[in-house]
Amino acid sequence: MLLKLGGHCSFQDFSEESCHGPGSDEMVQEENEFTNRPDNTAFTQQRLPAWQPILSAGIVIPGFVLIGLAFIGVGVALFVTSRSIQVLERDYTGDESGTPCASCANSNVQNSFGFCFPQSQGPVFFYYGLSNYFQNYRRYGTSKDDNQLYGVLKYFTSPSDNCAPYAYNSNNQPIVPCGSIANSMFNDTFKLYQTVNGTRQEVSLDGKGIAWWTDYNIKYRNPTNNPLKDAFNGSNSGLFYRNFLINPIYWSKPAYELDTSDPSNNGFVNQDFLVWMRRAALPDFRKLYRRISQDKYPDGLPAGNYSLEITYNYRVYRFSGKKKVVFSNVSWMGGKNEFLGIAYLVVGSMCVFMSIVMLIVYAKFKFPDEE
Amino acid sequence: MTWKSPVALVREALQGQRAREKDLRSLMSNLPYEGLEKGKQPNRYFPSNAIKTTKYSLLLFIPMNLYEQFHRLANIYFVGLAILNFIPVVNAFQPEVALIPICIILSLTALKDAWEDFRRYQSDKKLNNTPCFIYSRKEKQFVERRWKDVRVGDFVKVVCNETIPADLLLLYTSDPNGVCLIETANLDGETNLKQRTAVSGVCNSFEPESFNGIVVCEKPNNNLNHFKCYEKPDNQKVGAGIESLLLRGCTVRNTDHAVGFVVYAHETKSMLNNSGPRYKRSKLERRLNIDVFFCFILLFAMCLIGALHFIWLYALPGVPPYLVPPANGHLDSPNLSSFYMFFTMIILLQILIPISLYVSIELVKIGQIFLITNDIDLYDEETDSRIQCKALNITEDLGQIEYIFSDKTGTLTENKMVFRRCSIMGTEYPHKENIRLAVLNEPESEEEVIYNQDLQPLPTGWSLESEEANSEDTHRHGSRRKSKVLGTTQSDVAFSSPLETEVIPDRKLLQQISRTGSSSRCQKIDPYLEFFLALTICNTVVVSMATTQRRRPLTSDNLRYEAESPDEAALVYATKAYGFTLLARTPDSVTVRLPSGEVLVFEVLDTLTFDSNRKRMSVLVRHPITKEYVLYTKGADYAIMELLGTPYAQRHLDCYAKEGLRTLCIAKKVVSEAVYKHWLVERQRALTAIDNREVLIMDTAVQLETNLTLLATGIEDRLQENVPDTIMALRQAGIKVWVLTGDKPETAVNIGYACRLLEDEDLVLVIDGRTLTMALSPDLRGDFVDLAKHCRSVLCCRVTPLQKSRVVKVIREKLKVMTLAVDGANDVNMIQAADIGIGISGQEGMQAVMASDFAISRFKHLKKLLLVHGHWCYTRLANMIIYFFYKNVQAYVNLLFWYQFFCGFSGSTMIDYWLLIFFNLFFTSLPPIMFGIMDRDISAEMLLGVPELYKTGQGEGDYRFTTFWVSILDAFYQSLVCFFIPYFVYQDSDIDMFTFGTPLNTTALFTILLHLSIEIKSWTVVHWVVMLGSVLFYFIVTLAYSATCVTCNPPSNPYWVLQNQMADPMFYLICILSTVVALLPYTFHVLRNSIALSPLIEAKHLDRLDPSMREEWMKEWRSYRGGGQVQRSTLS
Repeated sequence: MLLKLGGHCSFQDFSEESCHGPGSDEMVQEENEFTNRPDNTAFTQQRLPAWQPILSAGIVIPGFVLIGLAFIGVGVALFVTSRSIQVLERDYTGDESGTPCASCANSNVQNSFGFCFPQSQGPVFFYYGLSNYFQNYRRYGTSKDDNQLYGVLKYFTSPSDNCAPYAYNSNNQPIVPCGSIANSMFNDTFKLYQTVNGTRQEVSLDGKGIAWWTDYNIKYRNPTNNPLKDAFNGSNSGLFYRNFLINPIYWSKPAYELDTSDPSNNGFVNQDFLVWMRRAALPDFRKLYRRISQDKYPDGLPAGNYSLEITYNYRVYRFSGKKKVVFSNVSWMGGKNEFLGIAYLVVGSMCVFMSIVMLIVYAKFKFPDEE
Repeated sequence: MTWKSPVALVREALQGQRAREKDLRSLMSNLPYEGLEKGKQPNRYFPSNAIKTTKYSLLLFIPMNLYEQFHRLANIYFVGLAILNFIPVVNAFQPEVALIPICIILSLTALKDAWEDFRRYQSDKKLNNTPCFIYSRKEKQFVERRWKDVRVGDFVKVVCNETIPADLLLLYTSDPNGVCLIETANLDGETNLKQRTAVSGVCNSFEPESFNGIVVCEKPNNNLNHFKCYEKPDNQKVGAGIESLLLRGCTVRNTDHAVGFVVYAHETKSMLNNSGPRYKRSKLERRLNIDVFFCFILLFAMCLIGALHFIWLYALPGVPPYLVPPANGHLDSPNLSSFYMFFTMIILLQILIPISLYVSIELVKIGQIFLITNDIDLYDEETDSRIQCKALNITEDLGQIEYIFSDKTGTLTENKMVFRRCSIMGTEYPHKENIRLAVLNEPESEEEVIYNQDLQPLPTGWSLESEEANSEDTHRHGSRRKSKVLGTTQSDVAFSSPLETEVIPDRKLLQQISRTGSSSRCQKIDPYLEFFLALTICNTVVVSMATTQRRRPLTSDNLRYEAESPDEAALVYATKAYGFTLLARTPDSVTVRLPSGEVLVFEVLDTLTFDSNRKRMSVLVRHPITKEYVLYTKGADYAIMELLGTPYAQRHLDCYAKEGLRTLCIAKKVVSEAVYKHWLVERQRALTAIDNREVLIMDTAVQLETNLTLLATGIEDRLQENVPDTIMALRQAGIKVWVLTGDKPETAVNIGYACRLLEDEDLVLVIDGRTLTMALSPDLRGDFVDLAKHCRSVLCCRVTPLQKSRVVKVIREKLKVMTLAVDGANDVNMIQAADIGIGISGQEGMQAVMASDFAISRFKHLKKLLLVHGHWCYTRLANMIIYFFYKNVQAYVNLLFWYQFFCGFSGSTMIDYWLLIFFNLFFTSLPPIMFGIMDRDISAEMLLGVPELYKTGQGEGDYRFTTFWVSILDAFYQSLVCFFIPYFVYQDSDIDMFTFGTPLNTTALFTILLHLSIEIKSWTVVHWVVMLGSVLFYFIVTLAYSATCVTCNPPSNPYWVLQNQMADPMFYLICILSTVVALLPYTFHVLRNSIALSPLIEAKHLDRLDPSMREEWMKEWRSYRGGGQVQRSTLS
């Protein structure tokens, strides 16, 4: 508070000097004297150089026109691309008449139905679809054990609590893979036949690489036991299992026998299993089942009559769900989706329209900078 | 240590408690007990002098700090939610994850508290270890000890220029008259010296060891100007008051050394006055709380919708495979699970109640205060002081002020007095020479009225200049210097003049005196002589020698006058000009040199000090020549008039008042010896009384002050620099300025004109104290307020401090407006009654400053403080709060909420928990804080140049009821866009949860930041860094997290999701479309403002012009708008 003046330093000197511009001595003195003086920096004095944009007609109207035109361009591209994608969907729930597989749900396990397929323009993907199936249900989603699926043997015998009540069976035997997601794995299987001149030719389907690469190689791993069976049935000599492991209760075959044709497609790194484990975001979803193998059909599926043979295992009536199969080719934008293209077109035209309206409005209200 | 039974300990503690609680304390000297154990010490119950201002101790920091933090409702709410998350049936996140936000917020606050406490600890340690001298019986002398060793009952010696370690009862000083001078600047900022006298009866040959009395004093209190005690050396009572108390923290001056008895250690008056920063709740915050309440309702509604879960469950024909029962394997009934779901939803949507908002507001206010206190324009060179912000959380209220209540003296005026005119025995002495001198100093004032001529003097420090100056050449013509005043219209040149110390005698009066002076030998009482004698004697001015290093003007005799009030100094300097020099003052005598060179020593029998009830002071002396008992009284004119034995013509007084002079009357009375003796007895009784002492003392004073004979004088108080300019600006800003003063109406009106508060065409209400009492009576109150509302300004004269505060309260309550009170002296009531109290640290008392929310050093600082900082703080904070609500509703809560409709109301999130929490905590938290601290809608120059812009903040301002709901609606709209565009794109596809969530999250981030970008009015480097940094940080953290975390956070697992998405063109197309569609309406909303051009936008356009152009525009604009026609508008 108190200003301390030392010796002969006086205010008079200082003020006279400052008329002619302060000398260096005075500056030093000043610093000593005014200890409370705030720093005169651009930041503390709030004088940082600033760019002050103002949304005015001069910027906004051309901006809108540009955005509008760009959007219309993107919209057209998307729309055209989406139009070029062919999709064939067949519902095979089989609980109502008039559907392709009208009696599937009630009849025996093996069903088949036929359909026509036009010439495809590129590789065809084969999906199965479920509706009203909430894979995103919270308790369902947490019902797995990532560490177990990562192949850590410790979690084989003591799965995470998250898996409950699908962690142990009633005999207190640990379930591998544990949890509800694995337990509810989709288990319908399909075979596709092309009818050429009255004979059915099986269309070879490619099940490799349908899951995410990272899932197959990093996130999910089998234990290093050889043969794999040892890890999954508890007969591993290296470890002492107090209880033998069992399969998920809905599973008809053990994890190490999911694909008998390809030994590397078993255990946790089975492609179908991986696809299922990647939970769908929305209740109506499709999941990739197979690719029509490109070796045999490099140009896509030829036009013709096809029949699909279904092993009908998965029950959907408990949640009034629907099952379907989808054949589709894909483009850079993925599957067929007209929404995005239309949305871009609408928004783009709206922007252009709005800029015209604004132009009229601004013409009426004269703008100071346009005077 | 000997062992003590617990009972004894308890008894001891109780005794101590009782001793401390007693209204009177009896203290004894510690010396006879020196070296004895603590239990035998007589004053052991009273705390030692070691101070501890720290709140926490090292060991107990965590529990104590947590305890303190949980006093906040918001913290309890969030901890409650985190605990709720540990209940398996309702949890939404992994329990540990839910703890993160609250832990971070608690630990941030704890860190801040710990740092503050550590600083307190350091300063305590430094203070406690300051050396001091305590008497030791063993060594028979004063030995050096530390402050913390001082105990009640010790004898402490203080030497010149040393700080006093505890409250001491002054027993002995090196001064033969038993006087010790102290400077209380550390306590109240007053730099004049105060005189303290040793307790009579003990002084002179004082030996600590022979002190055998008991000191009885009152319980410690925080009143700096009040103390009572008495001392009983040997069954006889000697009273002592504040005049014998040396306060801790004061500095000893002009006295070689002094010895005192420690009465209060630790509980000293200065310590009790340390109340720390105050917490007021701002208007904006009160509004905010209402909106938080609405948020609660919204949250409740959303959770209820979430609980519709059961409808969905009932609609299921069977138990689907995805419906996972709890661990026991049995599904809960739909109703029960709906009940659980309600709580899950609360956890999920908790961020709707913005916990981070409160923390952010606190941070923003710290930043705003930092910027305000660092403003160089609010720094005063003369006192080397910055603006002090004492209330930490009402910065934004500065932008909403509608009424300013100002005191006059010391607020509008310098409170530096100059003797101007006097009227003796009915003859006027106009002191024209003085006026000429003043005019000389003011080159541009030729056409101005004489007493208003120096409207723009700059106090570059008369005191500084006079340091090396002799009184002969003090007519220096203002040393010019460039002032750093911002306003471009006002004069940059300022003057400092040594007017205060300098009075050129009136020739006619001088002749009178020399005539009577030569004939004074005849012992006849001459009125002129008497007048000057009265002026010289009747004051409390202390004469000090030039040896001490203090900045006070020196007179040619090396005399330096230390006055408690500036008018006293002015009078003494005036008499000196006429040859009546006050040479010395001791408690018992006054030495005066007459013009003839004769030195008279008056015996001072008593001094009836000034108090605000009597409004006068008196000194009773014995004339050395006539041996008469003479009472000289000096006081406000009306305070003296009523006591006059003979009525006196008011003419001159009124004439003085019209010229804006502060008038003082001097009166005298000769008291007969018998009357004096009689009175003395009563006086003694009053002095030793401990109850009601003030009243008794005042009564005795009043008894004596009757039947006076009058002499009169007038003094001028100069306006502070730039006061008219500031008041003009404030009025243009739509603020009504009221002046409440204790002066006469004429004086007040004159000052009103001088500071351009009143102008001819205005409707002005001038009301005096008595009328005001009636106007404020309950039945007239409404009419008064209505009338006052229509007046451009109101002047209240002759009002008491209590009335001032009542006026403020009435206006505040009746009109529901934001009020601000400014005061430069002691009107604590008024300052506390207003929404914002501002103290001006000036010449007189600093109580106003102590009680204020902001303390400034000049009145002119008010202009920038309100117009610039007030506007900025308010718009910044209001916009930030609105944005915060928007942000939380939009990104976090609503996206999750919409998703519930597609996941069976199960409380699922489509974004990884960690990312979800990081989103609010790290990715989007910094930009709004930076926005709240640094955004600048309009430049300071513009705000100062066009004060009308201030009006945008008044009344409801930017932050209205509708603003909140509009922003919530906007948030709902944006969240719908951000959710449903990706939804329709990915509908019926093979998209998985987190892949679906990624574009949602990214779009939300972009929308939120771009929304803020539209809000930001000026982009500095900091803005760019923070905004771009936030985006980068989001991508870096998310990419790193999705690349490294394979199994680290089960069961949520976003491994490689963002990487996958970023390789997909659809991701970008969705993000672009959603962002643009989401922001379109807001862009239109902002554009609407530029169609109907609001003043703020217009000002912004002007801001972009170069300075010279801008000035022209500004002028044009002002004339076109007529200075007052600016409409309110919002910017939000």
